[in-house]
Amino acid sequence: MSATSRNGPTPALVLALALLTLAAAAASLVIGRDGGGPTFGFGGPALADTIVREIRLPRTLLALLVGGTLGLCGAALQGLLRNPLAEPGLLGASSGAAFGAVIMFYFGFAGASSLLLPLGAVGGSLLALAVLYALAGRRGDFLTIVLAGIAINALAAALTSLALNFAPSPYAALEILFWMLGSLADRSLAHVYLAVPLMVPGWLLVVAAARGLDALTLGEDTAFSLGFDPKRTQALVIGGTALAVGGAVAVTGVVGFVGLVVPHLLRRAVGQHPSRLLLPSFLGGALLTTLADVAIRLLPPGPELKLGVVTALLGAPFFLHLVMRSSAREG
Amino acid sequence: MTLTAANVEVAYGSRTAVRSTTIALEPGRLVALVGPNGAGKSTLLRALAGLVAHGGAVTWRGAEVAKLDGRTRARTIAYLPQDPPVHWPLAARELVALGRLPHRAYAAHESSADAAAVTKAMQQTDTLEFAARSVSRLSVGERARVLLARALAVEAPVLLADEPIAMLDPYHQLDVLGTLRAYAAGGDSGSNPRLAVVVLHDLGLAARFCDRVLLMDDGAIVGDGAPDATLGAQAIRAHYRVEPFIARHEGEPLIVPWRSLNGRRGD
Repeated sequence: MSATSRNGPTPALVLALALLTLAAAAASLVIGRDGGGPTFGFGGPALADTIVREIRLPRTLLALLVGGTLGLCGAALQGLLRNPLAEPGLLGASSGAAFGAVIMFYFGFAGASSLLLPLGAVGGSLLALAVLYALAGRRGDFLTIVLAGIAINALAAALTSLALNFAPSPYAALEILFWMLGSLADRSLAHVYLAVPLMVPGWLLVVAAARGLDALTLGEDTAFSLGFDPKRTQALVIGGTALAVGGAVAVTGVVGFVGLVVPHLLRRAVGQHPSRLLLPSFLGGALLTTLADVAIRLLPPGPELKLGVVTALLGAPFFLHLVMRSSAREG
Repeated sequence: MTLTAANVEVAYGSRTAVRSTTIALEPGRLVALVGPNGAGKSTLLRALAGLVAHGGAVTWRGAEVAKLDGRTRARTIAYLPQDPPVHWPLAARELVALGRLPHRAYAAHESSADAAAVTKAMQQTDTLEFAARSVSRLSVGERARVLLARALAVEAPVLLADEPIAMLDPYHQLDVLGTLRAYAAGGDSGSNPRLAVVVLHDLGLAARFCDRVLLMDDGAIVGDGAPDATLGAQAIRAHYRVEPFIARHEGEPLIVPWRSLNGRRGD
């Protein structure tokens, strides 16, 4: 008889990840940054409350929420598409959201109200996924979805470039560009309140698909014969991802590769089970994103690096490594 | 208590894969579905499993299978596709346990009934010895047996299996067909008769192990009955285009395709 963890997600792994995430969050509350580089502590009792509540708490909470969203949705999409190279960006959700936000910048709405930018992002993400559905959803064929996702990504990127090209002023173009790089700096609790109502329903939809993802391990026919219609699983994962990733991009811009790297690192530890990968990937995504955001603050004095730049610098070589390994295996 | 197909018809575009077919299949039987390549065996099996849109109706105990909710259907009809993909290299036992998904509530732990069903299915397919091994490290035949165990573990009253022995060595071909016959008969006590429909290409094994043989050709059932009646030399010549060698050994039928015949199908 196998001694593997046949009764759900490995509790030791979940506990370890949860503790590490808490430690990272605590570090994120204690470590700050100013013009002279990293700062530690709270700068005196008079300031402590303000610094923590106004600056570091929103930043920490958003790192946890956005990282968790990207890890969870990455794991779910990999299960749905049965491909370890899948990622929220793949479906066009992230680039659609970025385009929606850029439109708000472009027409100058972002200055009018801090709420309009996130709403634009969610609208863009939903629009991208609606187009995806119109193109490929009813066929229910996963390869078509991937190809449609690539096309939507390309279109969203082209439209975003167009908006940059026609930006009303160099300053506006710079603002758009900076926002698109993905960052957690200078966010407030209002951003948290805006993202959470989108993320939580998204998470619930994705998690509801857990057993359907396990069934899909043996292909669509077997999944259906086990009582899990692949079309329903697909609707739950795609709809949930649109909501949660739309909410995430709305408040932080595009933070790439977390959804790719985290599930991949944890897959072996959960015995390759798609459903058991979900919770650990959520925690792992929150952990990795928080650590990356802390690391940014620890760098020597100079302009603060954007979070999206750091995750891309770390993630892109990792992605390349995965692609080369999988093509070596097939070749 | 039967699985019936009434005027079931399947078309892929303009091509008719299964012509209007009406059959009734009773529990307690191991039924072989045989016929040459492209005869429509797999498509009929998929229609019985509710996997493909079809004309007519497939019913189980009077209820239309297409209208059952997913969970009820999954507990009633277990389906094993021909050479299904395994997308993640799970441990063999974990893969077999997927067969218990229709019996488990969301996030529920494995019950003792689940564990017993998984262990029994692995015993029956001779796969317990590599329960903890990743399926990516199994041979093709070993993997095929693990996948069959997954279907057996559902413990459904109906099992539809598409070429479950095609990849197996002779020992395991005999062993698995014996297991399937026992599955249909209802175990050692015979108290729980089930229906098993199996697509086979080995006519000799079909004749020896199965209670009933459905012979398909060109989308239609052209022979239905006891093996001796269905798999006569004349039928094999007409539908398989081979000259068979037919004999008896130890009181059981022995059918060997001996020589391919020239000429078109159905001559």
